[in-house]
Amino acid sequence: MKMRNILLTVMSTTLLIFASCTKKQDTNERVLNLVSITEIKGYDPIMANDLYSGREISKIYEGLLNYHWLKVPYELQPNLAEAMPEASKDGLTYTFKIRPGIKFQDDIAFPEGKGREVLASDFVYSIKRLADSKNQAEGWWVLDGKLKGLNEWRDKNAKLPAANYDEEVEGVKATDKYTIQFKLKKVFPQFLYGLAMPYTYVVAKEAVDKYGKEFINHPVGTGPYVLPKFDQGKRIIYTKNPTFREKFYPSDSSPELKHLLADAGKRLPLVDKIIVNVMIESQPAWLKLNKGEIDTYSIPKDNFATAVKDNKLSPELINKGLALSITPMLDLTYTAFNYDNKLFQNTKLRKAMYMAFDEAKSNELFYNNTAFPAQSVIPPGIAGNIKGYINPFKGPNLEGAKKMLAEAGYPDGKGLPEITYDIADSTTSRQMAEFFQKQMEQIGIKIKVQASPWPEFLAKQKKRSLQMFGAAWGADYPDAENFLQLLYGPNASPGANSSNYNNPQFNKDFEAAVAMQDSPERTARYEKLNKFLAEDVVVMFNNHRQSYSLTQGWLRNYHYSDLNLDYVQYLNLDTAKKAELLKKF
Amino acid sequence: MNLYSYILRRLLYVIPVLLGVCLIVFVIFNVVAPDPAFLLLGRHATLQQIADLHHELGMDRPFLIQYLDIVKSAFTFDFGYSWSSKQQIWEMFKAGAIPSLSITLPLFMLVNFSAISIALLVAFYRGKLIDKIVLIVSIAMMSIPSLAYILFGQWFFAYKLGWFEISGFDPSIPGFIPYVILPILLYVMISIGPDTRFYRAIILDEVYQDYVRTARAKGVSELSVMFKHVLKNAMIPILTYVIIQIPFLLLGLLLAESFFSIPGLGGMVLKAINTSDFPVIKAMTILSALGFIIFGIITDVLYTVVDPRMRLK
Repeated sequence: MKMRNILLTVMSTTLLIFASCTKKQDTNERVLNLVSITEIKGYDPIMANDLYSGREISKIYEGLLNYHWLKVPYELQPNLAEAMPEASKDGLTYTFKIRPGIKFQDDIAFPEGKGREVLASDFVYSIKRLADSKNQAEGWWVLDGKLKGLNEWRDKNAKLPAANYDEEVEGVKATDKYTIQFKLKKVFPQFLYGLAMPYTYVVAKEAVDKYGKEFINHPVGTGPYVLPKFDQGKRIIYTKNPTFREKFYPSDSSPELKHLLADAGKRLPLVDKIIVNVMIESQPAWLKLNKGEIDTYSIPKDNFATAVKDNKLSPELINKGLALSITPMLDLTYTAFNYDNKLFQNTKLRKAMYMAFDEAKSNELFYNNTAFPAQSVIPPGIAGNIKGYINPFKGPNLEGAKKMLAEAGYPDGKGLPEITYDIADSTTSRQMAEFFQKQMEQIGIKIKVQASPWPEFLAKQKKRSLQMFGAAWGADYPDAENFLQLLYGPNASPGANSSNYNNPQFNKDFEAAVAMQDSPERTARYEKLNKFLAEDVVVMFNNHRQSYSLTQGWLRNYHYSDLNLDYVQYLNLDTAKKAELLKKF
Repeated sequence: MNLYSYILRRLLYVIPVLLGVCLIVFVIFNVVAPDPAFLLLGRHATLQQIADLHHELGMDRPFLIQYLDIVKSAFTFDFGYSWSSKQQIWEMFKAGAIPSLSITLPLFMLVNFSAISIALLVAFYRGKLIDKIVLIVSIAMMSIPSLAYILFGQWFFAYKLGWFEISGFDPSIPGFIPYVILPILLYVMISIGPDTRFYRAIILDEVYQDYVRTARAKGVSELSVMFKHVLKNAMIPILTYVIIQIPFLLLGLLLAESFFSIPGLGGMVLKAINTSDFPVIKAMTILSALGFIIFGIITDVLYTVVDPRMRLK
């Protein structure tokens, strides 16, 4: 009897402890719970070279331009600029007026801790900071060779102990308190997209000077949110910036996004606090979504089959109020040949390999049939992509591949040396590589798979020592130039053209096309270049991926976007609906 | 030998060991590891930018200077700044040590206490049903991969039953408690099998010794035999095994930190390896080596406490 009582007490105490081990959500709090699937590198805009850092930085910092939240295709709009720039007739000068009265957030870097007004000179400073070689900015490529005198300023100051920011640069000037003038070396309309990228966001010199090396961990911006503390941990908590200017939810939209206009005209940001959970593993994030603890998440590969069937959500998820949002991404996955290796200068060999590869099967195995088979380098949604175009060499066409291989001089693969296919080691990469190996085996091509850790793989790529490898490219901005440049000769490794493809005619035509203003004529040129690369099979164009995101029923205004990095300010929560729906979880 | 002289002598051994560790770190970084510049500069890097970064990071200096730099940081504990996060490494270390220890310390105590207790119990009942059950359960638990425990534990205990938080961490006290209970319990399950078997084997080794038989012949009670004689004599291997685990506590639990989103040192090291963040890798290697040396000395000193026949030489 005594023992039974003791056992009962122990059991009930344990249950009580367990019951108190979980925290209850306060549904009245206007808090967004988001996930970052990778660690955040920090908050220095000039270092924001990945999507995830870019999204975090854009909660705090802003630039002259951004993308309209409700326009498809992407459309630039003024952000800190008062209006779109005035462009000179020759397309070489852009003059921006900035909005007066914008303030940097309060921070101890400023006198009495009060953020001061943003001036045109702050933009000039930020641009020079991006150019200063001592900062090793990852975003320098956006301005490299673009602005008059900036490269010269960079080179000259590289030799000095500290760069002279007071020295005037012809290409970037503050002509008065609120006016900035950019002078380009040559016509390059894509320059404006660079002003919507985090690299060119405005920073305060006082904050850079105050925090020095650790500026990356002490963001001081003008944006909708502030980050009281950043310690490179797994939970990042943003609060509303109390000095954020009057900015309102858009009142116009493309027809496809009209359903997101309910908050039109409301002051931004719409939620008070954002918690970003850094979750590298997909299972816990997926469980948290299913428990209502996070507001949106992409469906992990391993959960896809149970969550989605025929592009529809499972009844269990629908019952919880979750919604599926499917959005094509502006990207390309491809298999690259290294043109330093003479073997791949044989066009027929490349075509034979492409014809032997079963993209549909690969899509089924590795992407749950969610990706679009790529026919060329430019993804749909960007001018230059040819609607309805089918690449004549896209596989599977085994008979054609065998014939082409024979024409290439290697009947049934005879005489062809073993080709090394390099991967950055991971389970999925290995599976993909083994699939590729089997596909090539069908026509007699022997592939050796070589796995290396990511840093080593990247180093090999940059040193041009890979033979073949899988790659992916996500758009930096919505212009075909950003995809065509992947094969532009002067961009060879360590630049973005990791194939080291160098065709003088293509280079010349590319240069001519990118210097043109957006027009039907330029689109025709892009299409021509795109088709040329496609039919020359300069790389094996694999697919364009789609985002399959799930959002909770209480999350409003969400749609997936590759380029609206500052999207959180537009998101809203229906707290009453949240309280109601959480009962079903 | 006097205790203090012994400790001093062992501490002097630290110097050549650290020089060797620095040499290994240097060779690994300069010969085996990939160039960090490619990772740090991103996909649009130019040759000039790479050269500039090499200069900035001091990678273009003579090898001897680079080696001496590592030696200097090992002896001054000034590890500088992380190349990727630009934080002071000591600050990163302090920030990561608390979350790591909040799991590993209770886990260490729970596992060792439970495993030694169970081992004593089954040694007491050696050959009986309870011994066989514990043995079979231990082997079964050892056979399941740790990832399976984590995946099942998160799904069943945290998601289905809702007893624990699925993942996350709160650095406040006692805010962290709800987040660490599940990983601790899961890792107790992961570790208790092999540890129980290990301690059982050690204790059984003692149980069959002559002095145990003599004690029993003298009429000493079985409980007294187990605790006063067997456990005391088994303490040398137990101490070695237990104390050698202590430096590992700071290194955290990589898998648990990743799945439970705990910002510990295990994740910090992994991130450093993935980003070729040499200063962080260097600091953690040197600190781990020091940990092993220091806890090695502590083990030796404790041997003399548990077994007075032992002398420090």
